[in-house]
Amino acid sequence: MICCRECLELLNDYIDGTLDGGVRDSLEEHFKDCPPCISFLNTYKSTTEVASKTLSEIEIPEVVQVKLREFVTRTLKKKEGS
Amino acid sequence: MPTKEEKALDERLVKEMKEGKLEAFDQIALLYQRKIYALAFNLTRNQMDAQDVAQEVLLSIFKKIHTFQGKSAFSSWVYRITLNASYMKLRTKKKDQFVSLDDMLPSFNNSGFQQEKLLDWSNSTDSLLFSNETKEIIEKAVALLPEKEKVVFLLRDVEGLSTEKVGEVLELSIPAVKSRLHRARLFLRKKLSHYFEEYESRGAKK
Repeated sequence: MICCRECLELLNDYIDGTLDGGVRDSLEEHFKDCPPCISFLNTYKSTTEVASKTLSEIEIPEVVQVKLREFVTRTLKKKEGS
Repeated sequence: MPTKEEKALDERLVKEMKEGKLEAFDQIALLYQRKIYALAFNLTRNQMDAQDVAQEVLLSIFKKIHTFQGKSAFSSWVYRITLNASYMKLRTKKKDQFVSLDDMLPSFNNSGFQQEKLLDWSNSTDSLLFSNETKEIIEKAVALLPEKEKVVFLLRDVEGLSTEKVGEVLELSIPAVKSRLHRARLFLRKKLSHYFEEYESRGAKK
């Protein structure tokens, strides 16, 4: 049986689904008998989810959009003029 | 993740820009401004800085499109310019701290097994997801990430790039990307666990 340390090293690949079938089976075998590793897996996963959701909410503020539009227009005008 | 259509559109617009069709630049700017701004904002945590970076990146695309040779995807090139411009803005890249794995993992016995109970607070994250306090805790935790890990986390988990693509942008091997991502997630997990554990135990008492 693989130990907890090895198990936690593989979490990344386990979640991505890129582990070999054999390795994945022994990992899942380990999870069956190891509540602390299950807790770790769950909290690792939800950390990833909650952190990426929080940071990916970013939208460009209206004023920035306006500025960037103006900038693009200005840049193009300059080029056309040259 | 860019679809085939998006990639084809990128390639067409780049070609047109190189041929001097100015409208193509306008379209590229519209397509990319949110991506550029979001990444710059997550690195600088400042609206003005992110706006400056976005402007600089757009100007670089405009001026340097001829130097883009298409060896990597256009979007990877744009991400790279965005990272460089953001780092310039921050000036001092934080000294590369080292994230020690042992500090982020639970304690093991000599055979590598965990001996202590570990609180599973994963259910609390849903109920706390949109609270301002949670948002603040997460932003602080991300800000504390060492630069090497942070950029991988932002590109992969926040911007949703594939592992391969992150490798292309940062010129890193796949195993290197994976290991940095793993460290970033472990680091964040550790930082968030105090907060969520406390919430969980408060909830249990109610």
